Amino acid sequence: MAAAGGVAANSGNDLRSEIDAYGFRRPDDFDYDTYEQFMSQYLSVLARRAGKWNKAMDGKKKVKKTTKVKRYIRKGISNEYRGAVWMYVSGAENMKADNPGLYQRLLDGPKDDELLEVIKTDLHRTFPENIYFCNDSTVSKRSSLQNVLVAFAHNHRTDGYCQGLNFIVALMLLIVRDEESCFFLLETLVKRILPAYYTRQMTGLKTDQEVLGELVKQKLPEVSQRMERESVPWSIPTTKWFICLFLDVLPIETVLRIWDCMFYEGSKILFRVCLSLIKQNQDVILSASNFPTLVESFKKVTLHSRNTDCHSFMKNVFLDSQPLGRATIEKLRTECQTSETK
Amino acid sequence: MSANSNGVVRSGSLGGDFFDFACKVMLIGDSGVGKTCLLVRFKDGAFLSGSFISTVGIDFRNKVVDIDGSKVKLQIWDTAGQERFRSVTHAYYRDAHALLLLFDVTNRQSFENIRAWVSEIHEYANDDVVVMLLGNKSDMTSERLVKREEAEKLAKDNGIAYMETSAKTGLNVDLSFMAVAKDLKMKKTRRPNEPRFNVRDFVDQQKQTPSGCCF
Repeated sequence: MAAAGGVAANSGNDLRSEIDAYGFRRPDDFDYDTYEQFMSQYLSVLARRAGKWNKAMDGKKKVKKTTKVKRYIRKGISNEYRGAVWMYVSGAENMKADNPGLYQRLLDGPKDDELLEVIKTDLHRTFPENIYFCNDSTVSKRSSLQNVLVAFAHNHRTDGYCQGLNFIVALMLLIVRDEESCFFLLETLVKRILPAYYTRQMTGLKTDQEVLGELVKQKLPEVSQRMERESVPWSIPTTKWFICLFLDVLPIETVLRIWDCMFYEGSKILFRVCLSLIKQNQDVILSASNFPTLVESFKKVTLHSRNTDCHSFMKNVFLDSQPLGRATIEKLRTECQTSETK
Repeated sequence: MSANSNGVVRSGSLGGDFFDFACKVMLIGDSGVGKTCLLVRFKDGAFLSGSFISTVGIDFRNKVVDIDGSKVKLQIWDTAGQERFRSVTHAYYRDAHALLLLFDVTNRQSFENIRAWVSEIHEYANDDVVVMLLGNKSDMTSERLVKREEAEKLAKDNGIAYMETSAKTGLNVDLSFMAVAKDLKMKKTRRPNEPRFNVRDFVDQQKQTPSGCCF
């Protein structure tokens, strides 16, 4: 059985294993050939990156945000350090230090029955194909998943629980493992890094979908025209992209590489990933000539075998969307918010 | 190829398959009532317990069915049940030819919320939309919390058809989609002197009742 996040699991002996390094059971139609071809090269990248990370970390307990760290992160955080680096560069570690006992107090505090019920509905519907989250798991993380979601939802009663967070916390638990740390990483992600995606009105989500539409209009006008011609709103293909932060949309290793950058660089990385995905698959999208095929083309985009190569994928992300400044995004967000309220 | 006001497309090759008619069906209802399971049962004839994940956002699948010799293409939209996602999904109600409104017979709240769903439909859907109320998970007889009679009454009060379904056993699953497809086909092909097709009467004649159910 593969260990979650373990470096050993990537050693290449079990490339054809039915279960991946993070405990996900591979689907019946998993493309082992593409994966093996990619891993034959990526393993040496991983080894080189691990060496660099070992040297950079060299017994250090903390990670500071420097340009070198940023560069290292863009090339992928070594599995061994991934959880710790996420905690430091996101600011979650500080938040945890500043709020001793908060997590336990939330778990011990009074509960809202309705909220508990909503969360319970999603527990068995979170990665049932993963050995840590399936029914009858002997190594189940399902109760940890419940605890983190319950604590978070009770810490923000007005927003409560939003579907999608179940997948996010599950992946955090596979990488960061410690429940309390996951709770603070979730707090940091939802309350500081991302706009208001998971609130009752989902205003941040709607704004960012508008912003994406605007960016596509500027950078990939043909795609934009096709979307307009067939009246496909960006919310159809991208709600899951934004809400699940590409989980269950792109291959897991690719998702982890995106998250590495997200915790350091913030939410703008999500736009860069969207833009790159669309640009790389422009031909697929533009070959669709009506509403349903256009919607379906976005599924093809996410399922493309090219996405397996997370290393090239991330290189493309940074090449395809020329520096996308925080200021540009913020300006667009303000403009889109104003047009929404008009 | 052109679409009329209620989303019905007359012949073409939408997405590659040839068909005589096409229509849009939406699955709606509270989170966890079994919308995706119902769709997968209809589409693939399968039910794999413990293999479903919560639906985030909106998604669709196609299935072409044969109705009295005509090919009807159903474009079935599956939606997230959680209330906050409705602002993303109700924009698509207006193009829908049919809405399958689900609740879970073992979850009282999901039934209580049907009234709110019905007003949502009145607000956003077409006036001539076909609505069918489906009480899903009807195989779970010992955990049932909603009586068939009360669901039938609610459906009758709202002038809509009612059936009990089970994505697990397949009970009435095909019928719910086929009835919708038939309604569309009849609307398109009815000659002026022929009686109107009544989808409620049709499912009342065709539906099966869950075994072991209270009478």
